[in-house]
Amino acid sequence: MSAADGAKSVLRRLVNASTVERILISFAALFMAVVVGAVIVLVSGRVATCQTAATTLFGLGFCYDPVEVYLVLFNGALGGPFLLDSPGLFNPNWNPLNFGFALTLKETTLLIFTGLSVAVAFRAGLFNIGTQGQLILGALATALFAFFVAPFLPSGVLGGLILIPLSIFVGAFVGGVYGAIPGALKAYADANEVITTIMLNFIAAQVAFVLVSEFFRNPDSQVVETTPLPDWGTLLPVAFPKGGDFSLLALAFGLGLVVAVWYLLEQTSFGYDLRTSGEQPEAAEYGGVDAKRTTVTSMFLSGALGGIGGAIWVLMVMGKWQAGVPSLGFDGITVTILAGNNPFGIVPAALLFGTLKSGSLAVQFGTGVPKQLVGVLRGLIILFVAMPEFFRMIGSSISLETDDDAVATDGGRSLLGGDDE
Amino acid sequence: MSTAVHLDEITKRFPGVVANDDVDLTVERGTVHALLGENGAGKTTLMNILYGLYEPTEGTVYVDGEPRDFNSPADAIEAGVGMIHQHFMLVDPMTVAENIVLGNEPRKWFGTTVDRERARQEVIDLSQRYGFDVNPDDTIEDVSVGVQQRVEILKALYRGAEILILDEPTAVLTPQEVEELFEVFEELTAQGKTIIFISHKLGEAMHAADDITVLRDGKNVGTVKADETSNEELAELMVGREVLLEPKSAPREPGEQVLTVENVHADDNRGIEAVTDVSFDIREGEVFGIAGVDGNGQSQLVESITGLREPTSGKITYKGRDITRASRRSRIDDGMAYIPEDRHERGLVMDFDLVQNGILGSQHSSKFSSGGSIDWSTARGHAERIISEYDVRPPHADADAESFSGGNQQKFIVGREFEREPDFVVATHPTRGVDIGAMEFIHERLLDLRQQGKAVLLISSKLDEVQGLSDRLGVMHDGELMDIVDPRNTTEEEIGLLMAGEHPESAESETDAADASVGDAR
Repeated sequence: MSAADGAKSVLRRLVNASTVERILISFAALFMAVVVGAVIVLVSGRVATCQTAATTLFGLGFCYDPVEVYLVLFNGALGGPFLLDSPGLFNPNWNPLNFGFALTLKETTLLIFTGLSVAVAFRAGLFNIGTQGQLILGALATALFAFFVAPFLPSGVLGGLILIPLSIFVGAFVGGVYGAIPGALKAYADANEVITTIMLNFIAAQVAFVLVSEFFRNPDSQVVETTPLPDWGTLLPVAFPKGGDFSLLALAFGLGLVVAVWYLLEQTSFGYDLRTSGEQPEAAEYGGVDAKRTTVTSMFLSGALGGIGGAIWVLMVMGKWQAGVPSLGFDGITVTILAGNNPFGIVPAALLFGTLKSGSLAVQFGTGVPKQLVGVLRGLIILFVAMPEFFRMIGSSISLETDDDAVATDGGRSLLGGDDE
Repeated sequence: MSTAVHLDEITKRFPGVVANDDVDLTVERGTVHALLGENGAGKTTLMNILYGLYEPTEGTVYVDGEPRDFNSPADAIEAGVGMIHQHFMLVDPMTVAENIVLGNEPRKWFGTTVDRERARQEVIDLSQRYGFDVNPDDTIEDVSVGVQQRVEILKALYRGAEILILDEPTAVLTPQEVEELFEVFEELTAQGKTIIFISHKLGEAMHAADDITVLRDGKNVGTVKADETSNEELAELMVGREVLLEPKSAPREPGEQVLTVENVHADDNRGIEAVTDVSFDIREGEVFGIAGVDGNGQSQLVESITGLREPTSGKITYKGRDITRASRRSRIDDGMAYIPEDRHERGLVMDFDLVQNGILGSQHSSKFSSGGSIDWSTARGHAERIISEYDVRPPHADADAESFSGGNQQKFIVGREFEREPDFVVATHPTRGVDIGAMEFIHERLLDLRQQGKAVLLISSKLDEVQGLSDRLGVMHDGELMDIVDPRNTTEEEIGLLMAGEHPESAESETDAADASVGDAR
């Protein structure tokens, strides 16, 4: 068996892996990433200089202790349920509603929206790299709408009940329209959506920047940002501490959208059209699916979900639009690859991202490990966990049929009839 | 004359298919032997066995009268058998001489270095001996396809081949190059070499070969001498008449026009006109057949009718409505069923299970959805009914389409389309890849639909199928509808000539017809 055959058979095995197998593969990958990361921590701890060794192995001193690093990482993401000085001991003062955990969930919530956005496009066979741009413009639209409409509404809970849903809707709509542009370009001008969405990301960031700095800038601020919204117009933290920038309402909304997107994809005629287009465009065409319309609609939907992500970022985290929007849209790509484009898979995938984000802050502050090294550890975990799914995607998009399979499925024509082509 | 190759009762089975069934073949030394047959008749498989690429499931290969057990092409080359594949295996940036000696390079300095000068000289000697016009110093990418083919032949000769197998050697050549190739054949056989070439073109076989063996469905259906046979006899052997169809039901009086095609032109994907000015109509209770060699515009015509391709001009009327530019979905909703030519690309979504595939095309119909939501339990029942009625095996509705064999995929598609309760069925190659039993079942169902007063458009390259089932038969050649004939009063030979682009009346058509690939059936 040649190397190529070997690679093919591994890919085929991956493509045919069951859900349970895929979950096990993900955990195994996570474990491997931790092992590899631990080695890197040790090695860098050996070459770094420090006053006292954090750990000593085989008579050699190391500046960083990999066990400690990972314990702090996961412990910190939950806000410290364990007392690491005396391992295994539960922290009696631990409250699940803490800042560390809020930070984890904040990141998780935002990535659920962007993950869903990318997933919808992927399922339709569209490689939407433009969620970031859709999110930026959705966020801006939300911030501006809320800012200009708020004065006309009663302040307090009632005003929030009216303003917040409307602002989210506006963000979704603007994000959707911005997503529909590359969709239409693809459908009617055959422009590759990967290229157009990447370009539209830059355009969105710059247009938003100019709009805010020239027209909607907060006069009292040094940075390019809009005027902050009144507190009643933003999402309340509900149970979590106020400074954590996290709202349970937003998480609940995100989980609701997960179910809604799943229902749309799996249970509706439109979802059937969308998935068929993504799986096999020729078969979709045969089945009466209007490819152009489905492309535009799918991209609108994807953009709208990205726009909602932006709206939540404004309403839950910032309370305003500010230049330098975090790369939530790009992380959404990894999240959905991690999730195998399954809406329900996006929740744990986003949670992993949130955990790493929040945990690495804890490592940065709680240990002597430099933040660059923490970044490496994060990257390793994401890389390891995402790769099996990534190869699955590649595997299912290329033909892996062996000669024997070809005989079995097409009556032998590829072997027997290849002569007459 | 002695026997160069003798294949004794060769059978080759692949999972789910018998590629060669008890084939005997004898090739005399110093002759040109043509292996003729339709696509999928098993010609290449048979030659791959002779060349050691496959091992036969049963039977024995004799070369020079000795039984051989080739495990690889290297063994075959050792025994003097060389094969030139349809796709050349040459290294483009290397010279002609380097390619010819590649793998068997003459060496110098105790075998450490390739002796290029000797290699070059050997190649020059070799080409002079057989009268080949090749320059050893040209690089492969700079020479024509015809020269590349000669390099391939020289490569085999260099390795000491006495028996040369050529797979579809003329497929890539211009007519002039074909003539030159046949001259090369004469030169080679004059020097005692034996040539076997695979073809599906009658004319070539008649022209270049001494003996012709016809394969059909993996069987040897006859070996004839080229100068003792006729195009008609060969066409008959290739197309075959044995597959018995049920005697058809009594002729019906056709009713209203269901589909009218008027002066339709359509392009293929490259933008080249593939359908030229085709007009016909189909009535209720009628099977209208279209015969023709594959690739003569049938696909584009069918796609124009079913809404997958927009005709460049002309008019298509369905049930009194102009549908020339109507969407595919509106045609489905209006009772048009379609068994597509390519079940892997179009007919089934390979990664969907049969439940999901069962509603392909009906995903918006009120039968399976209400308020935009799909009723999956109804869809499941539907898929299970198709599976049991059309005997799809294994009967697993939850299995992905991909996991079924070709014949079972086909049965599922046929079932889905017939269960649509259509007014008009477009069936392209409806029995391709299915076994005899399923074939008869599908034929009966088509005739049932006809009996119920539905209209059927049947496209098949199996001449016996279209001829046996159709009430009227159109024959396509090079994008044009040559003629519409009554299949009951027309012989296969006459249809074959129409398929080759000649009207049977004109007697001088014989030579042209000979060049055509009659029976290039798929």
